[in-house]
Amino acid sequence: MSDAPGSPERLALLGFGDRARAALADRQLHVALDRTTAQFGSRRLAALATLDDADAVRDRARATKMDALRGLGDALRMFERRLTENGARVHWAETDADANRIVVDIARQAGVRRVVKGKTMVSEETHLNGALEGAGLEVVETDLGEYIVQLGHDRPSHIIAPIVHMTREQVGRLMHERLQVPYSDDTETLARYARERLRAAFLRADMGITGANFGVVENGAICLVTNEGNGRMVTTLPRVHVVMMGIEKLVPTMADLDRFLKLLARSATGQKLTAYTTLLRGPRRTGEDGGPDDMHVVILDNGRSSILAGETAEILGCIRCGACLNACPVYKNIGGHAYGAVYMGPVGAIVTPGIRGIEQAAELPGASSLCGACREVCPIRLDIPRMLLALRSAAVRLTPQPIALRLGLKAFARIASRPSVYRAAMSAMRRVLRARARDGWITRAPGLAAGWTRFRDFKAPAAQTFEQQWRARSTARRSS
Amino acid sequence: MARPVDCEEIVVSDARTAILDRIDRALKTARIPVVSAGARGVQPGEFGPSGTLIDRFVAEARALGVEAFVEGSPDAVRARLALLTDGRRVLAWNPDRLPYGADAVVSGAARGSSPRDEQAAADVGVTGCHGAIAETGSLALLSLPGCPRAASLLPPLHVALVRPDNFFFGMGDFFEARTDQIAAASNCTFVTGPSRTADIELSLTIGVHGPARVIVIVGP
Repeated sequence: MSDAPGSPERLALLGFGDRARAALADRQLHVALDRTTAQFGSRRLAALATLDDADAVRDRARATKMDALRGLGDALRMFERRLTENGARVHWAETDADANRIVVDIARQAGVRRVVKGKTMVSEETHLNGALEGAGLEVVETDLGEYIVQLGHDRPSHIIAPIVHMTREQVGRLMHERLQVPYSDDTETLARYARERLRAAFLRADMGITGANFGVVENGAICLVTNEGNGRMVTTLPRVHVVMMGIEKLVPTMADLDRFLKLLARSATGQKLTAYTTLLRGPRRTGEDGGPDDMHVVILDNGRSSILAGETAEILGCIRCGACLNACPVYKNIGGHAYGAVYMGPVGAIVTPGIRGIEQAAELPGASSLCGACREVCPIRLDIPRMLLALRSAAVRLTPQPIALRLGLKAFARIASRPSVYRAAMSAMRRVLRARARDGWITRAPGLAAGWTRFRDFKAPAAQTFEQQWRARSTARRSS
Repeated sequence: MARPVDCEEIVVSDARTAILDRIDRALKTARIPVVSAGARGVQPGEFGPSGTLIDRFVAEARALGVEAFVEGSPDAVRARLALLTDGRRVLAWNPDRLPYGADAVVSGAARGSSPRDEQAAADVGVTGCHGAIAETGSLALLSLPGCPRAASLLPPLHVALVRPDNFFFGMGDFFEARTDQIAAASNCTFVTGPSRTADIELSLTIGVHGPARVIVIVGP
């Protein structure tokens, strides 16, 4: 058990509304989020400006991803063949539990005791660490952010920046407590503490586990991007390497990969490329020094094929850059833990209902103002607002709506479809609202509208409608 | 080298069949936007190089914190390397893999075949390179025999020797020109500046697990 803010034990007890309210009241969280989220946006813009024609690269990447999804079955068969030719073993996992069982079996058969992990969201999705520890294995996260998450029994709150919810002072206190090192709030010192401990872990580990940023169909290459170098350590030093990847990670060719790499780091961290971009094609070959004896690739479905079948198939084109989180006014205010799911923010609000079923995550598509900032920044131009709306309809259809709401909407439909009735009704409504306004704001609305003002104030309507003002002005112009 | 595979080597598990069947069924109802061919945008290679490749590479690499030296003769390359490695423990690529006769300078170095402890204890890693990407200031390193991955990974300082024929404008150009060489190695890594993290408050910290210092010597 743990008392960390993102701990599953704490989050499971709350609904989304309660989690969001708790997050809004968390001052430390806001200090941490304010120190980071604004920087993400400006760095992304500056990095994209270094491409000759970023918009054209995005259009091309979108077309490639959508084409790849349309041919996904055949692409996976070809990818499997290429992986096998490269000397990797391919495993297929229908569910998260299946994936974990496969990895534990690989570890057992290879006599593995110590595991080091690169950052992988898929292993968060399957809760792999628990399964490995349950099988008696030592597991160490090696990405700095994930290492700190593991130290604090916490959960990542951002796809690419796991501890974006923590201030450096909080990180310093955690390391001081758990590692018995002197307290520091200097990020260089904190990184050194982690480096010293992780170096030993890399050198003695038997197995390395990573995700995959991309799988290249034409040659079976697994592409990994990291900044710290932990991804290279994990895929170079241990004698067994296991890749966990979703079925949707494929790009057709190396030329396509080049284009996606141009977009990924720029959209994620505002770099042209991350410090290390690694292509892995099977285990160590004859004559090579370094690299694993065995490489396994676990291809995971876990609900993705049901996403593919429906309205939100497009979301499988996501390359997990996190730009939609950084742009989202909801994410920027509540952080990642409030979503109560492994994938957070706008992309998480679509992926999570897809993986768990809409009935298990019906509130998440509502965690958006539909402002469209996510679609604007998405390197693949995914139409996230459209998908959120589709999921909202699905969520509404799940449960019968209150009779008052249904009758109210019917009545509104009758009024709204008759212009003269509509104008009369709006005019009456305007008078009522203006009478209730204090200093231009309505803080408590009557009747059914009370729900609206429970969480926000409503601006009092103007004395004249836009239409009235427009008429008055054009009359004035004509007569002058 | 990768080897051809018989169909029988692919293990047909129940999970594989179930997943591929579900995908094939899903594709009949999937709502995947059709992106018009007109919106496909530029082709690879349309990003034109500006200035010479070496100038661009050096500028990009320096912006990342890489120290870059352009030397006029093999003697000058070896002299520069000697300054950087003198009195330090070195882990190097094999003699025939280092250009400019540089092995004479690091003859006592540990190699990829040395015990791991010895490799991990090195102060300096000395490598050649298989490609230098001007657009991003990246070094492309293949894990071919005699070119151990560890030399550019374990020591805190990585010194790479680059030849003029290593330069390409973009990563895509390198992929296209060196397809066979890339296919021969199990690992192809692009090193773009020193190891770094920004996990704590997005504050840039150099030198986490990989080398904190990267030095490039471009020879004639």
